[in-house]
Amino acid sequence: MMSVQPGPPVPPVVPVRPSLGRPRWGHQTSLFQLRQPAFWLFLAVVLATGYYTVTQQTLFQRISPSGWALSWLLLLLYALPIFAAVYLLDLYEREPLSLVVGALIWGAVAATTLAGFANEGWGFVVARIGGPEFASRWTAALTAPLTEEILKVAGVVLIALIAADEIDDVMDGFVYGAMVGLGFAVVEDVLYFIAIFGGTPSGVLAGFYVRVISSGLYGHVLYTGLAGMGIAYFVSRRHDATWAKRVAVALLLFLVAVLGHFLWDSPLLNFFPGHLNTVGEWLQIPLAAAIKGIPLLVFVIVMVKLARRRERGWLELALASEVGSAALTRQELGILLDPHARRRSRRDMRNRGGEGAARLLRRLQREQINLAMVRTRVELDDDPALVHQRAYCRSLRDALMAMPGAAPAMRPTEPPR
Amino acid sequence: MDPPPPPPVPEPLPQAEIPPPGGPPAVAVGTLNPPPVPPAPARVRWVSTVMLAAVLGVVVFGGYIAAGALSQPAGPPVSVAGVVRVQPLSGWELAGRFASPPGARLSRGSGNLDVAALPFNGSSLDLVREYVNQVLEPGAEQLSVSKEAESVRLRSGLSGVRIRYIGLFGKAQASIEGEVTAIVSPAGMGAIFDAWSPEALLQYVIDDIHRMIDRAQIG
Repeated sequence: MMSVQPGPPVPPVVPVRPSLGRPRWGHQTSLFQLRQPAFWLFLAVVLATGYYTVTQQTLFQRISPSGWALSWLLLLLYALPIFAAVYLLDLYEREPLSLVVGALIWGAVAATTLAGFANEGWGFVVARIGGPEFASRWTAALTAPLTEEILKVAGVVLIALIAADEIDDVMDGFVYGAMVGLGFAVVEDVLYFIAIFGGTPSGVLAGFYVRVISSGLYGHVLYTGLAGMGIAYFVSRRHDATWAKRVAVALLLFLVAVLGHFLWDSPLLNFFPGHLNTVGEWLQIPLAAAIKGIPLLVFVIVMVKLARRRERGWLELALASEVGSAALTRQELGILLDPHARRRSRRDMRNRGGEGAARLLRRLQREQINLAMVRTRVELDDDPALVHQRAYCRSLRDALMAMPGAAPAMRPTEPPR
Repeated sequence: MDPPPPPPVPEPLPQAEIPPPGGPPAVAVGTLNPPPVPPAPARVRWVSTVMLAAVLGVVVFGGYIAAGALSQPAGPPVSVAGVVRVQPLSGWELAGRFASPPGARLSRGSGNLDVAALPFNGSSLDLVREYVNQVLEPGAEQLSVSKEAESVRLRSGLSGVRIRYIGLFGKAQASIEGEVTAIVSPAGMGAIFDAWSPEALLQYVIDDIHRMIDRAQIG
C-alpha cells in the first residue's frame, strides 16, 4: 500500500463546469487572411467585378451627372442608418469592421455585377422555355430570387471560410448577410434610378420614393440577412446540432429568403398601380409594397429577436461567475442584459450627474461586456487579461462614483467581492 | 458655486500593477469555454473554396449554356428570294411571306423577325436609312430611331449595321419596339432583318434573333 506524503498546499479543486456551448466572443479576426484560399477568391472576384462596376458608374455619371450625384446622396442617407442599425444590432460582440466592410463590398460590387450576367443568362432560359409573354411576366420572379440570393449569400460563405471564428451564432450571420444585402440594394437602386426612372433629378426622386421610402424595409437586407443566419447556424452549431439538422436549417432559411424575394418579384399579390398620375396612385405604392413585404419582415424580426435572446443568455452565462466581483454587481448585470434598461440607466445618470457621467457609465457598461468577451477567451479565473479587465471595470466605477450626483444613481446593491 | 470637476477617467491599468484578487490559486475552469474551432485542413479549405467558385460559375454562366442548348435549329431553312437563307431555331415558325420587297416573317409568340432581300447599290448604312424612310416611317404614327448605328459582323464574315426603333404603328394600341439589321453583300444584294415585338418583349426573343441573323447565309 502506498503511503501518501504530505506535499505543498494544493488549491481547492474546483469542479469542472459543464460545457456552456457559448460563442468564442473574445476572438477577433480581420478580412485579410492571406493564407486562406477563400480570401484570394474574394479578392479576385471583387477586383474583376470592381472594374465593371466602376465603368458602369462612370457611364451613369456621364449620362446624368446631377441624377447620379443625387442618387448616391439619397442612398447614403438611407444606407448609413441601416448600416449603423445592423452593425449595432449585435449587442455584445460587434463584428470586425474589415469583415463587415468586406461583406458590404461583396454585395455592392461582386454580387450586383455577377447577378446582372446571371439574370440575363437564366432569363434566356425562361424565354426559351416559356416564350416572350410568359417571360415578360415571370422572368424576374424565376431568375433573380435564386441567382441573386446565391450570389449574395456566397459573400457570407466566403467570410465564414476566411474567418470561421467570427461567426459565433446566427446573429453574426444576420449582420454579415444584411451588410451584403445593403451593398447590393444601394448599387441596384442607383441602376434603377438612372436606367429605369430616367436619371433626371425628378426621376431619381420618384425612384427613391418607390424603391426606398415605400419598399426600403423589405428588400435585399432582409433576404440576405435571413440566408446569412442559415449559414451562421450551419457554421456555429457544429457542437450541438447534427450535420443534417444544420444543413436543413440553413437550406430552410435560404428558401424562405428566396420565397420572399420570389413573392416580391412575381405578379402574385401585385397591387402596385400601373401608372403614377394621381395622388392616390402614389399613396398606393407603400400599401402594395407592405402587402408583399411585411410577412417576411415580421419573420425576420422574430428570428432576430430569438437570436438576440440567445446572445443575452450567453452574456449572462459568461458573466455569471463575475457577479459580485469588483467588476460587476448583480444589479449591473441585470441592466446589461436589457438594452432598454441600459439606455434608461444612462438617461437617469445624465439627469443626475450630467453628460460626462452618462458617458462614463456607457464606457463602464461597454467594458463590462468586454469582460464577458475576455471571459470566453481565457481558460483560467486568474488569467492576467481577466484580472486586468476586472480592475479596469472597478476603476471606471470608482471614477463614476466620485462624480457629483452619479453615486445615488448607480450605487451597487451588494458589496464587491 | 461651481461643482468640483469630476475625477479624470482612468485609463486601462497596466497588468503588472494589478494584484490578482483573492490570492494566486489558479482555478481550472475546464470546459467553461468552447474549444477553439480547429483550423480546417488545407485540403478542406481549398476544396470548399473551389466548390464555391464552381457554384458561382454555374450561376453566372450556366444560364447562357442552358439557353444555348435549348435553342437548336428546328425545321427547314427559310429562303427569301433565293438570296437569304435563315435557319429557324426551336420555337420559331414561318408565319407568312410578302412580295414587295420579297420577304418572310418568322414568329415566336409576339416576337417577330421580318427578313427581306433586294438588290442594292450602296452601303449597309444607306440600306438601313432607306428601310427606315421607305418602310418604317410611312407606316408609323410616331417613330423614334436610335441616332447611332451599331456595327455587326456575321459568322459568314459579312458586316453590316444595326439600329433600334420604337413607335406606334397602324391600329396597334401598344408601342412596338424593334431592331433593324442591314447587310449588303459584295454581289450587290441587300438583306434586311427587322426584329420587332410589343414594347418590353423584344428583350426576351432578341438572343434567338441575333443567333438566327448571325448564322444567316446571304448570297
